[in-house]
Amino acid sequence: MSDIVLKEVSKSYGAVSVLDKVSMHIQSGEFIVFLGPSGCGKSTLLRMIAGLEECNDGEIFIGGERVDQLPPNQRGVAMVFQNYALYPHMTVRDNMSFGLENVKTPKAEITRRVEDAARMLEITQLLDRKPAQLSGGQRQRVAIGRAIVRDPKAFLLDEPLSNLDAGLRVRTRLELAQLHNRIKATMIFVTHDQIEAMTLATRIVVMNNKKIEQIGTPMEIYARPATRFVASFVGSPAMNFVPVAAVSDVGGKAAITFAGQQPVQTAVPVAGLPTGNLTLGIRAEAARITHDGTGIKGVADVIERLGERTLVYTKLLDGTILVAEDEGISTIQPGDNVSIALDGNAAIVFDAAGKAFHAAV
Amino acid sequence: MLRNHSRETAVALLFVLPFVLIYGVLFLWPTVQMVLLSFTDAPLIGPGKWIGIENYVEMFDDRRFWTSVRNTAYFVALTVIPNTLIGLAIAMMVSRLKGWQQSIILAMFFLPYILPVSVVYRIWNWMFNLQFGIMQYPLTWIFGEATPVFRTQWMFMPAVAFVTIWWTCGFNILLFLSGLRSISTDIYEAAALDNASRWTIFRRITWPLIWPVTALVLTIQLILQLKIFDQVYLFVQGGRPDPSMVLVQYIYNQAFQKNEGGYAAAVSVALFVIVIVFSVLQFQFLRARGEK
Repeated sequence: MSDIVLKEVSKSYGAVSVLDKVSMHIQSGEFIVFLGPSGCGKSTLLRMIAGLEECNDGEIFIGGERVDQLPPNQRGVAMVFQNYALYPHMTVRDNMSFGLENVKTPKAEITRRVEDAARMLEITQLLDRKPAQLSGGQRQRVAIGRAIVRDPKAFLLDEPLSNLDAGLRVRTRLELAQLHNRIKATMIFVTHDQIEAMTLATRIVVMNNKKIEQIGTPMEIYARPATRFVASFVGSPAMNFVPVAAVSDVGGKAAITFAGQQPVQTAVPVAGLPTGNLTLGIRAEAARITHDGTGIKGVADVIERLGERTLVYTKLLDGTILVAEDEGISTIQPGDNVSIALDGNAAIVFDAAGKAFHAAV
Repeated sequence: MLRNHSRETAVALLFVLPFVLIYGVLFLWPTVQMVLLSFTDAPLIGPGKWIGIENYVEMFDDRRFWTSVRNTAYFVALTVIPNTLIGLAIAMMVSRLKGWQQSIILAMFFLPYILPVSVVYRIWNWMFNLQFGIMQYPLTWIFGEATPVFRTQWMFMPAVAFVTIWWTCGFNILLFLSGLRSISTDIYEAAALDNASRWTIFRRITWPLIWPVTALVLTIQLILQLKIFDQVYLFVQGGRPDPSMVLVQYIYNQAFQKNEGGYAAAVSVALFVIVIVFSVLQFQFLRARGEK
């Protein structure tokens, strides 16, 4: 068992707080992704789990053992750094065996583990090269190999794909997913790339401004974001936010009116909705261009033709821009009057503080 | 774009010409003249008669020449490696400090390096002064009585070596510190996760990664210390220079005190060859070891 439990973990540098009472429970074998913008504290949190940053407050448990007072080498975790941190003067073989030599592992065992990992990562032919003789992707594999040979309780990966070019990043992402399926180890992966998070994670931890905004499966995060920040950070194009002019109760569900538009029936229960400034959130795929004139009205501003679909940036009557979807072969031109049907079942209402109100499950 | 190669070559030559001229006039020409001079019986100023390799034959039979070679070699042995190791050790301690603390400590170690040799001489002559020198306290404790360090033959070279290390190690610290700073902190963090002890980190990570700096420091030190003159010349004032004579001092002695320009040139050529051979050999050896 290598569950990782964080209990109200906090971190500050002098007067500057970077993490504030963060708690979570990571199950053994999960692929967890810390997702958030730069400076949200996700890398700091990973480094605190690794023992490379001290914990100011709170407790960290790995495999049931409290580790926040232990040095990095006694926590049983391995880390893959953003720039790989390979030892430049050592060969790939030496890089991978260094950690095992330090704990006096027998030579035959070191050779076996290094060769097994090299075979798994297809780097056997690189074992006698030095890091400077490797490409970025190969270095990345070596860094993962160095972690694998130690057979750690958990793998900590700090933006390991960010130094790779776009094509290689996609390939390596897939390989990481396959690797996780094969070795079933607990992995924590830090990224600010929502596509990496969505494609790799068992669960995503969305972080912002020192705190966890939401923990959930990729589809929970996408379809039922807990806050307006999560809704805006995950998904491309970003979720539409339209100011609500009025809310009326139709059979216990909110019918929402925008400035100068017909009401839109949603599945969000009226009970519990606060008064005051509300915003309706809806993703582009739930806002379809209609060709029969029904729906809310606007004027096409910018058209993005993506092949399989067309994104129509529509200026509504109050000036708000709403991104709607049309079929791939769309005849809409900028300046055309368009009508948009909103899928009320996919609509989310946010209060002034950014808290989300969803349709009942 | 089409390139005119002959024109590019002409422009390149034009750019390097000032350096070639200065190098030729200020280094190559005097060097050739010195070698030619070593085959003559010229005085310090003015021409001399061609005497072939007579100066070199005389030099190999000259007891004082061999004494100066031995003293120079002894001084090199006392300074080069100790100065390098001390510089490395202090740089590693300084690198652990942060911010203003590091700046102050670094400045304290570097300060002696900016002093002229005459000031260094005055400071340490006082420090070791038989009546008032503070260094006489530990010396009295060790030897049971006050000791005239610079007048005691066996203590002279070690004392000058000690002063030289104090004077020059600031520069080595600076070189080592820049080498240490070039090692990414990620590598140390990876080593910490790899269960490496402090000693293992030094032996397997730090030392190999700053080996190029070490090779540079050792080579600079070797060249500098082979040319030792000022400190020995100053500290020997008032005493007998012969037993502690070093090569450059011997050249000075022959040229400027005995008016033997040709013979001094021959000793200079010998020193030139020693510096070239030893520094090239050492650098190649160190580089090969680093690559291994």
